[in-house]
Amino acid sequence: MEKTSEILNELQAISPFLANIDKINVFEVPEDYFQLLDKRITTTVFLTGNKKNETQKVPEGYFEGLSNKILSAIKNTEDAKEEIKNISPVLFSLKDKSTFTVPEHYFENLSNTIFTKIKVKKAKVISINSSKRWWKYAAAAAVAGIITIGSLQIFNKKSISDNADQIAFASANVPDYIKLSFQYKTPQQLDNGIASLSDADIVNYLQQHGNVLDDDLISNNIDTTELPDAVDYLINDNTLNNFLKMDNSKAQGE
Amino acid sequence: MTQIQNDQEFLELFRNPATKEQGFTGIIKKYQEKLYWHIRRMVISHDDTDDVLQNMFIKVWKGLDNFREDSQLYTWLYRIATNESLTFLNQQKKRNTVSISNDENGLSNQLKSDSHFDANKLEWKLQLGIQSLPEKQRLVFNLRYYDEMPYEEMSRVLDTSEGALKASYHHAAKKIEEFILNH
Repeated sequence: MEKTSEILNELQAISPFLANIDKINVFEVPEDYFQLLDKRITTTVFLTGNKKNETQKVPEGYFEGLSNKILSAIKNTEDAKEEIKNISPVLFSLKDKSTFTVPEHYFENLSNTIFTKIKVKKAKVISINSSKRWWKYAAAAAVAGIITIGSLQIFNKKSISDNADQIAFASANVPDYIKLSFQYKTPQQLDNGIASLSDADIVNYLQQHGNVLDDDLISNNIDTTELPDAVDYLINDNTLNNFLKMDNSKAQGE
Repeated sequence: MTQIQNDQEFLELFRNPATKEQGFTGIIKKYQEKLYWHIRRMVISHDDTDDVLQNMFIKVWKGLDNFREDSQLYTWLYRIATNESLTFLNQQKKRNTVSISNDENGLSNQLKSDSHFDANKLEWKLQLGIQSLPEKQRLVFNLRYYDEMPYEEMSRVLDTSEGALKASYHHAAKKIEEFILNH
């Protein structure tokens, strides 16, 4: 105390104006700085102490990494807290209040629930695929059957009503391309027949019957089994590009 | 048995067919609560959160073989959880366009229907304030305010620059404060 008055007197002597100004600290210290200071100092002391002590061996560069790790971990949470305190003290005060509730034992059982689902899904995938294929063939067989029965009925009715016209019907009412198709008895013959068509024939056919190539027909005949799984898009942004590249190179190979 | 906490060790267990489930269980146990709360704050109801969380872990199971270790598992999981939550909210929006014109009201109504809801309590006003934000701002606010995620990491989760995230958080906090003071 004596010293203070001594210093004050000294100043009074030098500059009464300065001595009369209240001692107010204008410099700000970050909040919680002093609370955290001891931790920072002990960390630093611990690290420097260990650097000097060569008998205790640790991996090279460990302490340089450690101090950063510890400080950045402290800093990250402190940063977030400090930030919201500065932006809005109201929100800072509400930070740790919980509002939502979770059913009891929910987290204990979660992994089991997920595994049950994964296993059920796995089993389902196999059954869906096989049944889908089965349905495809069944539907194709049914359509083929209906066409066969339908055409037989047309021919039968014709033969009952007017037997003599049967040959005329076959030769006059049936378009040429259908008549031509009668010569193909096996899929192999049909393939050969299609292969022998000229480009002009195909263009001509498509111009006359292009409407049969509707969207449904196209989408029903596209094989989607090779498309990447939805989750792949999430994992890798290039999934779609890779798939298209793969598909293009396949097409070129053929 | 020593307790395994390291992601790297979980991934190694997962890659071995004999310990695959053990590794996966470890990952679930380690991250389930963080991810649960991240999703819960976005979709609000527990049941919806449970659906989204389970679906996301099923996707993780399928995709973990292809997980590239140049990114952190934690960041990758947050990314999937975020995408799944946003997809879920979009589906909800589509379903509700006929009955509810404003989807934000949908989530606020869900909050109000919570059995513990108390309009006079500040913590519930805070939740209503958060729900009044646009989706992206809500995400940024939650990740910073509750998860205390560094901007650098958030930038990897949300594919947005750190500067934009800081600005977004600032706006979000100010809007919520205003909401609380006016309600």
